[in-house]
Amino acid sequence: MFTKQMISSEIPMLMSKACEIFIQELTFRAWMHAEKNNKSIVQPCDVAKVIMQTDTMNFLTEIIPNNLGDFSVFDAKEENIANIAEENEVSLSFTAGFMGNPMMKMDSEENAGNIVEGNQATLPYTSGFMGNPMNMMNMDNVRMK
Amino acid sequence: MLPQEQDRFLPIVNVSHIMKKVMPANAKILKYFINFITGEASNKCQREKRKTINGDDLLWVMTTLGFEDYVEPLKGYL
Repeated sequence: MFTKQMISSEIPMLMSKACEIFIQELTFRAWMHAEKNNKSIVQPCDVAKVIMQTDTMNFLTEIIPNNLGDFSVFDAKEENIANIAEENEVSLSFTAGFMGNPMMKMDSEENAGNIVEGNQATLPYTSGFMGNPMNMMNMDNVRMK
Repeated sequence: MLPQEQDRFLPIVNVSHIMKKVMPANAKILKYFINFITGEASNKCQREKRKTINGDDLLWVMTTLGFEDYVEPLKGYL
């Protein structure tokens, strides 16, 4: 039998703050998932995957729509993007410096050297999502002065 | 005549009405979260034969359900 219960005056404030932290955590985890898959936009499928993978959020699995439960479409899309990035590896390495990459530290000499040599290690966020204008050029033998 | 204590607060019915109107229709995740937490806190109070859910019950439930990271920041609001 359901019995009515009272709540003390601090409960609404506590619950609103808890909701705030919960949404912050869920969003951050979804963003991390998107970053891991080299995506610059957080999509509903990222949130759904986080809910499925995190133990504490398993209570939300019943509200994930069925079409988000099947991730084959999204996985194929991510794989396709990754392949495009690998094909354009040479040209991407030279355009990274001009694209205003927010994740790149331009202050150290080591990084400057890496950009000149086309080292991909320091440029993880430039893999073809930015509508790269240099992809059409053949830059196999080009070296920056 | 001195004002009573309840006269200094906003009318709770009006406030809850405004809150319901502002609440977006698709805030399903938060509804589930609130139900999940308060449901467990309610069960705890029923087991202990208490009528009122307080802040400590919520924090205990959050620790039990795996949201222990939330407890420290929320203690400041008790």
